[in-house]
Amino acid sequence: MSASLVLIIVVATAYLATHLLYEWLAKRLLIVSGAEYLVLGILLGPQVTGVIPIEAANSFGPIIVLGIGWIGLTVGMQFYLPRLVRITGLTFRLAVIESLVTLGVVGGVLWWAFPALGLTSEFWAIVPALALGAIAVASTPAGLDIALRDRKRREPVVNQLETSLGVNAFVAIVTVGILFAWVHRAPVNASRPPTPTEWAVITVGVGVLGGTLFHLFLGEERKVDRLVVSLGGAVILASGTAAYLNVSPLLATLVIGIVLVNTSRGRAELRTVLAGAERPFYYVLLLLAGLSWRPTTSWTVLAVIALYVFTRTSTKVYATRWSTRWNGATAQLGGDWGKALIGQGRLTVAMALDYARRPELPIGDVVFTAALASVLLTEFAAARLVRAALLPIVEPLRDLAHRLPWLDAEQEPVPGETSVSPESGEFIAPTADGASTLMRPDDDDSGAKR
Amino acid sequence: MRRVVVLILLYLLMQAVLPLGEGTAAALVLMAFGFLILGAYSVGELATTIKLPKIVGYLAAGLAVGPAALNFVSTPVMNQLAPVSELAIALIAFLAGAELQLDEVRKRGVLLLKMMTAELTVGFIGIATTVAVLHRFLPFLNGAPWPEILGFSILFASVAVVHSPAVTMALLSESGAKGVVARTTLGVVLLADVAVVLSFSGALALARVLAPPSGNAGVGVLTVFWEIGGAILVGAALGAIVAMYLRFIRRELFIFAILVAFFGAEIASVMHVETLLTLLVAGFVAENWGGGEGEQLRHAMERAGAPIFVVFFALAGAKIKPSAVLELWPLVIPIVVVRAAGIWAGTQLGAWWAKAEPQVAKYTWMGLISQAGVAIGLSSVVAGVYPERGEEMRTLFLAMIAINETLGPILFRLSLLRSKEATPESFRGGGH
Repeated sequence: MSASLVLIIVVATAYLATHLLYEWLAKRLLIVSGAEYLVLGILLGPQVTGVIPIEAANSFGPIIVLGIGWIGLTVGMQFYLPRLVRITGLTFRLAVIESLVTLGVVGGVLWWAFPALGLTSEFWAIVPALALGAIAVASTPAGLDIALRDRKRREPVVNQLETSLGVNAFVAIVTVGILFAWVHRAPVNASRPPTPTEWAVITVGVGVLGGTLFHLFLGEERKVDRLVVSLGGAVILASGTAAYLNVSPLLATLVIGIVLVNTSRGRAELRTVLAGAERPFYYVLLLLAGLSWRPTTSWTVLAVIALYVFTRTSTKVYATRWSTRWNGATAQLGGDWGKALIGQGRLTVAMALDYARRPELPIGDVVFTAALASVLLTEFAAARLVRAALLPIVEPLRDLAHRLPWLDAEQEPVPGETSVSPESGEFIAPTADGASTLMRPDDDDSGAKR
Repeated sequence: MRRVVVLILLYLLMQAVLPLGEGTAAALVLMAFGFLILGAYSVGELATTIKLPKIVGYLAAGLAVGPAALNFVSTPVMNQLAPVSELAIALIAFLAGAELQLDEVRKRGVLLLKMMTAELTVGFIGIATTVAVLHRFLPFLNGAPWPEILGFSILFASVAVVHSPAVTMALLSESGAKGVVARTTLGVVLLADVAVVLSFSGALALARVLAPPSGNAGVGVLTVFWEIGGAILVGAALGAIVAMYLRFIRRELFIFAILVAFFGAEIASVMHVETLLTLLVAGFVAENWGGGEGEQLRHAMERAGAPIFVVFFALAGAKIKPSAVLELWPLVIPIVVVRAAGIWAGTQLGAWWAKAEPQVAKYTWMGLISQAGVAIGLSSVVAGVYPERGEEMRTLFLAMIAINETLGPILFRLSLLRSKEATPESFRGGGH
């Protein structure tokens, strides 16, 4: 049986099985589906059964690049400026502190650990350390989606989490984008090889120019059927161009997403198109990641995994706790909201694949293994972690809402009115349409009109 | 027009970044694929403004960026994109099969059979005679003995009579036409497709007797039977699975549609059965036994396949060799004219025989001119059996297909407009 046929059968069966179980698992057990595809990929790959040989796995390279680009665009589409400016400074401050501390601590620890474990020279250790630091910043939004799917009220802690997820993704993608520009190989055909700064500018330039041209290309188009064609072409072209230039497809498409969401009138339709293919792309990426993964029992790699997971988890939990306390926001947010950011998912996989597909970068397999191990260990439990983090702060608010019905979300709040500490400007109120959040997918022109 | 300007800017941008790249083939293919989608889509939209079908725009865009002109989509890149064409053919075949309602087959099956038989027979005789008459001027028959002339004339005609289900489906999807001319055209095209696969196998067997190929190349009778019979079996099984899915699960149809097409194409390749027929049967079974959910799947498939169809036709355009048409035009033009005349005469005869509606007699022939992938596929089989002569024959076919592929959609659009089954607005607003 051909490798392609096996892959199709596996994807189809796994997808349908997961889909059938997905709702049930998510609702009853608060389990986020996804990591099983990774396991499936490993089982089918050359390292275990060899059903899909390495050559076949390598031939899926363009799909990986396309999947990475699609995820980048999806992340970029969250950054709608009129919505961003309504988020308070404190919310952003906490999110940025958490992101940068995670990047610094995880990157720093691994920068020390890689040469100490004999994996790479001191000079080169900065590259994989920074990459894993950036990967550590990324958290999956899937847990929050599942944990809060039946909720109507939107508490400040939920807004904080959504903002943090967006900022995490932004910091992670920008960091790897700059990293790839920094360590870029000199092209063979160029008369003068661009400098790292120029590569970074080229990466962002592909995004800005691409975003502007695609905005002009899409024009007033609102029909989803037609947008599928245009947007599909745009993502493929942009991802292909970034891959051809050996720069980060994630950063280029992130910028395109930001440009499109802020310029296109059909942003809601664009999001519909993107969302429709995001989960399947993620599953395919997971499967392909599993195929190309070479799990190892080498103690040094296991030590890196343990160090990465431990450092990342501790930093997420304690950095958020301390920064919340220092900013005097413990009363509104509680001290444990960082737990909700422990889960890793689609962006982590995309970043790990993007790093590992570059042979010029050091210890790609170690970075890849550590990132995927983290997804395996944390994604299943992402929703439970979110619930554990939110319950202590959300339940009392629920009780309050029951006792004071005028606070309940079913009663229309006045748009723009704050309900928590308006004088201090600590948090803007959760409006009925969730306008205070970075991540809500259903924002549209209403935000712009207000 | 704005989109075309954007495309030119995109093209210039890509030309600017090309020297900076590492030149990896996969990334280049991805770039070309993306550009092809946007380019063909834009030129397709532009085509509607000058009252041409979108598909002609897709073909023109492919021709412009293909090896014949800009060479941005070079032959190696086209080869890398071959799976896209296979997927498109699978999607088109499934959609075509799903268009056939059991009730309609019961009601109009005999009419369609009569129309198809008359049209194919008249066309076949006309083309075979023309080739036999022109044999002195044809490179692959010059100086050949009469049995070989007869064998190759029959073989040539058995390929030349074929239509294009892809173009027919694309135009119907674009216009949303559902009238009697539209449905008769589709029915005849689909039935003829099955009949041509069967008759081509017979013609090839006869040609091998009259003009034995060098070596042991060729296809056995049992293999041919399996290709056809097996396709019906495999297609029915696949259709039954899809029907069960539609009855009991009915979710995530967008992804399911792509998986069905991928799986169908791959399983047909692995089982050595005819891909088009397999998916056609699968579509028919799924539509008619899917508990009334077939329309949703069709819609999902059209949406999922939209970028793929655009690239499929653009790639078909990129394969057009204007130089071959220019070189062979004194031979190609008579054959194209005879084929068109044969189709017209055959449909008149068929409509009279089947007592079809007057508009069917008047307009159906215009929807039967198109040729594309199936004809190229069959001519490749001939080239496989007769490496030297077959290759010369294939060049002639490609030149002929280039004309029919361009004129066919224009004529079909005209037939739908004149029969009032579609309006210019429906063409501008439709599908892909």
